Amino acid sequence: MAEIKEWKDAVKTPRPAILISDGPAIPRRKDSGLFTAWRISFIGAIAMVAYLAISRPDPYWKILKFIPDGILVTFQVTIAAIVLALIIGLFTGLGRISKNKILNGIASLYVEIIRGIPLLVQLFYIYFALGRIVNLPAMASAIIAMAVCYGAYMGEIFRAGIESISSGQMEAARSLGMTSSQAMRHVILPQAIKTILPPIGNEFVALLKDSSLVSILAVSDLLRRGREFAAESFNYFETYTMVALVYLIITLLLSKLISIMEEKVGANR
Amino acid sequence: MRTDNRPIMVEMRGICKYFGQLKALDNVSLDVRDGEKLVLIGPSGSGKSTLLRSINQLERIDHGRIIIDGFDISDPETNINKVREEIGMVFQSFNVFPHKTVLDNVNLAQIVVRKRSRKEASEISRELLNKVGIIDKAEQYPDKLSGGQQQRVAIARALAMKPRIMLFDEPTSALDPEMTGEVLDVMIKLAKEGITMMVATHEMGFAREVADRVIFMDYGAIIEEGKSEHLFKNPTRDRTKLFLDQIL
Repeated sequence: MAEIKEWKDAVKTPRPAILISDGPAIPRRKDSGLFTAWRISFIGAIAMVAYLAISRPDPYWKILKFIPDGILVTFQVTIAAIVLALIIGLFTGLGRISKNKILNGIASLYVEIIRGIPLLVQLFYIYFALGRIVNLPAMASAIIAMAVCYGAYMGEIFRAGIESISSGQMEAARSLGMTSSQAMRHVILPQAIKTILPPIGNEFVALLKDSSLVSILAVSDLLRRGREFAAESFNYFETYTMVALVYLIITLLLSKLISIMEEKVGANR
Repeated sequence: MRTDNRPIMVEMRGICKYFGQLKALDNVSLDVRDGEKLVLIGPSGSGKSTLLRSINQLERIDHGRIIIDGFDISDPETNINKVREEIGMVFQSFNVFPHKTVLDNVNLAQIVVRKRSRKEASEISRELLNKVGIIDKAEQYPDKLSGGQQQRVAIARALAMKPRIMLFDEPTSALDPEMTGEVLDVMIKLAKEGITMMVATHEMGFAREVADRVIFMDYGAIIEEGKSEHLFKNPTRDRTKLFLDQIL
């Protein structure tokens, strides 16, 4: 059977995994035991929320009733920002591998600058800079700021994903007369998606957590709703306990969802 | 078949190509006539692959001119994609598209580049898959195929563009001996149909059977060329002799 192994090696282009980890680990199939870290934290967090809400309805149940609006806003910001960031990231990634010096220069400069400035500073900067030029609502500025920041990281993921596809694939496509953009679209990107998906999942979870920063820009997300409640009731410890638990439950759910999605994509190619 | 009075398909004049300090092609001049079967032999690193790859500009040459079917491909004004449509290339490492079925591998460029409808493309693809003997694998993904089968998909994929010339860059070097034969058989079949072929290979049996001309290369230069029966039996240059002694 040695020959079978050989041609398998030949067809399977090496796909180095991109290891970027931020946020709860995306559960893998092999971690299927009953007492995985994921299960313990997920069940623990839910049990804790339930226990607190039932045993001390005031303030815990009140907090729980107060924050759902914020959860919705957190999701809106996260999803809008990730979609924008993916688009920015795709073009940044393509720019980073481009042989065109100007495009490459712009993309590289963008990545370097964005990655060198803390997200919170960027949020302030874009929020107030945009506020001077166009009068955007707080929510829109927040989404743009998050997308611009995360676009740089997405760009690096796209670049790595595209570079992980063997150069022979591009050569084969080009030798059939495809332009480089046709080859990218029909041959390279569909293959790169598999490599790219896990780190994008990680970025998604990270973005959801970082979206809590937009609460500073007068966007009523989950954290801001918590702050509002705490400021009125002075139940700071109780409120932030609840907020933390809700964030934890959401990110754990998300990471599970992403792992299911990854398995699906892995299975049906 | 006599081809020496046919029109010239590929004309190469004084081609040089450097990889850093290394001179990969050293002042190569070569004419390939329409319908001619040319076999390039020589030790690895002798420039056979680079020569083939420079014909469809996977490598850019540093000096010289390459004219294909009247198009000067070293001229920046030439639309290289148009020229490449007419040149089929088969690689040592197959380079089939792993995310597409065998049929879609052969369909893709027909639809994207030649703008054929899917139905029209599939008809052509099935015909070609039949010709290379893997029509029964049409719906499979390449990772279910052996190396020899993948290489035959790659050949069908290139033929689907109806190229004027086919380039084979060591098409059997990554294959086990038992799979080499099935790929060579397809190539011999093609050769008999009269398509222009340039083949870099170590398969001397193939060269004997189909080559109108055999070119021996070493250190990026053409050392000797001639009909296979002459070149194999009576090489005039020492380097050719040495190489043939090692390989035959």
